[in-house]
Amino acid sequence: MSAGPTVRPLLTVRGVHRRFGTGPTAVQALRDVSFDVAAGTMVALVGRSGSGKTTLLNIIGGLDRPDAGTVLVDGTDVTALDEDGLSRLRREKVAYVFQTFGLIPVLSAAENVGAPLRLARTPPEERERRVELLLELVGLADHAQQRPGELSGGQQQRVAIARALAASPRLLIADEPTGQLDAETGLSVMALLRGVVESEGVTVLVSTHDPVMIALADRAIRIVDGQVDGRFEGQVDGQVDGRATS
Amino acid sequence: MLRLLALRARAQWPLLAALLTVVMVGPTLLGICALLVTRTAEQALEAAVSRAAPDDVDVTAYTMTVRGPDARSVADDTRGVLTSALAPFAATTAARASSVMRSLPATRAGGDGVPAETYLSSVEDLPARAQLTIGRWPRATADAAKHAAPLEAVVLQPTAQVLGLTLGSRVHLGSELSSDPAPAVDVTVVGVVRPLPGTGWDRDPLTAAGYDLAYQDGRSVRPVHAYGPFVVDLADLLTGGSTIDQLEIIAHPDLSAPTRRGLDTVAEAMPGADRRLARTLGDRVRIERVASRLPLTLLAANDQQRVTAAAVLAVAVLGSVLTATALALAGRLTAGVRADETALLSALGVSRGQLAAAATVEAGTLAVLAAALAIPASSALHAGLTHLPPMAGAGLAVQPGVTGVQVLAVAGGALALAAVLVVLAVRPAPAVSDRRRRRELLARSGADLLLVAFAAAGWWQLHSQPTGSSSRADAVLVLAPALLLTAGSALALRLVLPALRGADRLARRARGLVLPLAAFEAARRPQAVAAGLLIGLTCAAGTFGIGFDATWQRSQHDQADLSVGTDLALTLTTPPVTGQGAAVSAATGGAVSPVTDRGIAVGQWLGSAGDPPRLVAVDTSRAEDLLRGRLNGGRSWTDVGAALAPPTRATGVAVPVGAALTLTGTATGASPLTVTPRLLLQDATGLRTPCTGAPVPLDGRAHPLPACATAEGLRLVAVSLPVTAGVTAPGNVSIGSPYTFDEPLAGDSRVAVTLTVPGAPASAGTAPRSPWTATSAAPAPGQLVDPAVALTSTPAGTQLRMTTTVKLEGPPDAARNLVATAFPAPGPVPAAVSARFADEVGAQRGSRLSLTVGTTPVPISVTEVLPTVPSAPGAAAVLTDLDTLSRALVVSGNLEFPVDAWWVGHPAQGDAAVRVTALHLGTVTTRAAETARLTGGPLRAGLPAALRLLVPASALLLLAGVVLHVTCDLQIRALEVARLRGLGMSRREIRTVLLGQHVGVLLPLHAAGAAVGAFATGIIAPLLVRSDIGAAPVPAALASWPWAPEAALLALLLAGCTLAVAAVVTVQARRADVAHLRVAS
Repeated sequence: MSAGPTVRPLLTVRGVHRRFGTGPTAVQALRDVSFDVAAGTMVALVGRSGSGKTTLLNIIGGLDRPDAGTVLVDGTDVTALDEDGLSRLRREKVAYVFQTFGLIPVLSAAENVGAPLRLARTPPEERERRVELLLELVGLADHAQQRPGELSGGQQQRVAIARALAASPRLLIADEPTGQLDAETGLSVMALLRGVVESEGVTVLVSTHDPVMIALADRAIRIVDGQVDGRFEGQVDGQVDGRATS
Repeated sequence: MLRLLALRARAQWPLLAALLTVVMVGPTLLGICALLVTRTAEQALEAAVSRAAPDDVDVTAYTMTVRGPDARSVADDTRGVLTSALAPFAATTAARASSVMRSLPATRAGGDGVPAETYLSSVEDLPARAQLTIGRWPRATADAAKHAAPLEAVVLQPTAQVLGLTLGSRVHLGSELSSDPAPAVDVTVVGVVRPLPGTGWDRDPLTAAGYDLAYQDGRSVRPVHAYGPFVVDLADLLTGGSTIDQLEIIAHPDLSAPTRRGLDTVAEAMPGADRRLARTLGDRVRIERVASRLPLTLLAANDQQRVTAAAVLAVAVLGSVLTATALALAGRLTAGVRADETALLSALGVSRGQLAAAATVEAGTLAVLAAALAIPASSALHAGLTHLPPMAGAGLAVQPGVTGVQVLAVAGGALALAAVLVVLAVRPAPAVSDRRRRRELLARSGADLLLVAFAAAGWWQLHSQPTGSSSRADAVLVLAPALLLTAGSALALRLVLPALRGADRLARRARGLVLPLAAFEAARRPQAVAAGLLIGLTCAAGTFGIGFDATWQRSQHDQADLSVGTDLALTLTTPPVTGQGAAVSAATGGAVSPVTDRGIAVGQWLGSAGDPPRLVAVDTSRAEDLLRGRLNGGRSWTDVGAALAPPTRATGVAVPVGAALTLTGTATGASPLTVTPRLLLQDATGLRTPCTGAPVPLDGRAHPLPACATAEGLRLVAVSLPVTAGVTAPGNVSIGSPYTFDEPLAGDSRVAVTLTVPGAPASAGTAPRSPWTATSAAPAPGQLVDPAVALTSTPAGTQLRMTTTVKLEGPPDAARNLVATAFPAPGPVPAAVSARFADEVGAQRGSRLSLTVGTTPVPISVTEVLPTVPSAPGAAAVLTDLDTLSRALVVSGNLEFPVDAWWVGHPAQGDAAVRVTALHLGTVTTRAAETARLTGGPLRAGLPAALRLLVPASALLLLAGVVLHVTCDLQIRALEVARLRGLGMSRREIRTVLLGQHVGVLLPLHAAGAAVGAFATGIIAPLLVRSDIGAAPVPAALASWPWAPEAALLALLLAGCTLAVAAVVTVQARRADVAHLRVAS
């Protein structure tokens, strides 16, 4: 178990257990997982497929509930929230970036980015300004009216990141955001996330098993068989000006 | 591959069950329709024939001039020919015969020098055709005594009265008046009878009048006095040696349980019956003929059956199109769900042929299962349908059964639908490239255009179908609804998409996400409107079904209204008598009016054969109460009647019942003159009855008139005084004698005649006194100068004093007829004419024409042209006011009141028809019965039943299609739904989005479908309605759109769809959870 010693943690995970199924075929996805993530940092959640990364991210994002343990996001106990509270949490504090981008196919890039703002009932003019800004930020201002099907994988993931940032979340959860991208595109996406952490002050929790991507994070947490591997946890090596290069 | 199919079937059984349900609906519907047009249609024909009126199925053989010795054998042979023609049905026969005229000795009749004649007659089943007023029925004379004893006979009441016959009277009938006369015969009167109306007495030589003092027997131009008949037993007549002038054998087939084959046999045999009778009778008769309406009845029944079958088949075609559309959707959805699996199999090396084979096996299995289920289902549903109105009421209820045609229809339908599934399974994947997409779009547009072209051609064919009965339009009748509804739905779908795009544009400017996202999904996802054609088409078919049913029902009501013309019509078989109207009124409790309804001549125009111009005259001051039939332009019968009715009622002079009227007259000059007074009395129902008195010499003395006032409430409205020269002994009947001067006279005679009506003075009572007018009647009005009439009240009663100067010069046969009326001369009779009448004679508003009523010309003035005249649908007909018509006839010297029927409006008694029938005055027809016949008759009941079947079938297919569509759609989009949760949307918001997008599609599609249904109802439903003989209905059918049932159907469909969607969406929203994200990510 470890926590950022100097900064108040934005995310606190304590003793989280999650089990799927019952009887002999039951799978213990998470066992007593605990860690903290400081605000304004980018943390990589590392582990092999089936190690429990996605389960952990879903519990943190309020998409799933733990069998035991607590998750505090910006002081809010996620595990104690009801359905509406969880929805509010995802609207206001937590944003998701999925491996398969998670864009709504019928909406254009701009509309996808504007979706969280619509949920927040942001006035249309303000919404449009924010969407324009975010698309500029992810370098897709020229593709605003294109639909996901008309964009490349990298572009779609950029749109997904822009959408995740739209409602100014405190925590951005990215589940294998580069899993479907080639190395170069994946790197650019991770660089974008890195840039977001710095420019927007957002806390990013990203799951990956790509060492290059891990290098861009401020810190990495390794999950092995549903448990945090304490040997690996800590500041990643090779940081240059606070940013990983390898 | 079979193993793969089995495994897949186990894994996807809900999908296959849904497919099986959809595949089953079509063949079930086809099976029901097949049963309706075969089993039910045959049963309907048999039921219709078994219910036919005797007149419609009886076969009558007429033979004339049969020598006495041959009479018996001719009768027997004729019966044999008729019964063999009606085989295999048993037939009962009845004979009616009348002998040639015999002389009647002067001791029994006449005395005026005019020859008297009489005849023998016989009617089988006499007690059913006449009512015995006194005595008993005649019996056959024993063979041994035939030549010695007198024959027993009954006579009609008028004969008995005129000839002074009583029970036991023995009458000697002279020898026959023929070239080979049979000897004289004596008869004994054993009874006096009253003929019953509608029992064939109209074919009696004297039409059951009992006597005719101006009978033209054909042997001389001079009329003779004829009396009779002396009705004897048939055996006596046929074996007594009398020459039979007319022998009529009526065969009545027993059609209580007819079979189609038997009816076909009879229909084939009937045309040759005439020839067979001629061959059988040879020269034993001078003339023979077989007449029957049975072939026409069967032909009409077949026509009705054909019309109904066409409509039922139209429903079947529509149902098949609906099922095919639903199945096409299901097939596409299935292919979509299995797209990955198909791609994998292809990647593994499975050829397209193998995929097609697998699809064929699966579809074939589904077809076999569907057919196996549809056969009993269609039998059970058909049987259930026949136990519901209107089929149950038509006697068409049956137990479930299976027929070959039904099995073929079900199997064929199932296989055809299976073929649709195979085609959809093996067709190439949807286009991905722009070029291919454009090509597909072009093909779809072309298909839409082709559909529209076919639909337009179908409409045009329907629009231009002949107004008469024709089989040419049947194919169009069958296909047109399906074509039009499919084309309309396809076009409407094209219009729904822009509407959804409009909603999309509005949503872009909205602030929230839930509803805008629903709008975006609805407008932008092609899959969202995948079920569009099915939804639109089923809604269109359902609403069209209700609309067509309402249109058909309304048209049948309109046809019945117009056909009967009133609520209850009593067509008289004999002229009405005073007080009859009161009896009808008491029996019905409604507004009663005497009516003229007969053929007439218009100038020189007599119309075509069997279709003369019709005159309908009724009390138009009560038009709204009495007349039925649709008028155009929001007009009412009151409006029509107001232009026809006289301004005031003729009140005349009240004549107390039993009042002894007297006539006193004087004439100046040397020549003695006589008047033969004819009084016209009007009762409370408006019926006018003439009462003719004996010739009265104008000798200054008061002469009593016959007892004309036989009922309460009579009023004298006209008096006719034909003036003749000379003096006739009072009491001598001079019916039919011309009012002429036998010898030319010279000079003028001033005539004054006073008619005294004792009792209440003219001013008494509530009716205002009407002014009296005197006229010299046509055709030689100049023979009377200065006709005048004055009404005065005296202590003795009311006196009507009529004066005129008679010109004794001039043609001896010139009528000198002074007519005094309680009304002014009406001038041209205002008349409304039917459109066909106007077309035929070139009449228009204001036209002046001349009708010939009887032998009296009546000028008319056309006040308006109606679409058609009540009781004369489609005929060239004239509608006038009976009072005005009567006035026109009276001022022409014709006091006959031309009444053929009683019409009753708004009968208060529920069993009015039964009560009126019990009066035995004639044939009773009611609007309600005619409506019931047209809407619920055995040959018609199949149509509304099939239409009502279409509605639930449409609803079922719609619901099945929507559920299938939504389920597949949401399964495909499960991940997307989960991502929406990831975005922070609550389950409730997700449900709202999903529900909103589906309802957003369903709502405009329902509306578009309803609009197509309404459009189709408006433009083709009236064209699809045919009359019971397959001709265009009269009046023309008007589209009917019953808002309440249509709105209820739409609300039900929408509610059902929404419920189904809500259920699926709720389940999907609950399922679409983190698990999907985990799997996908």
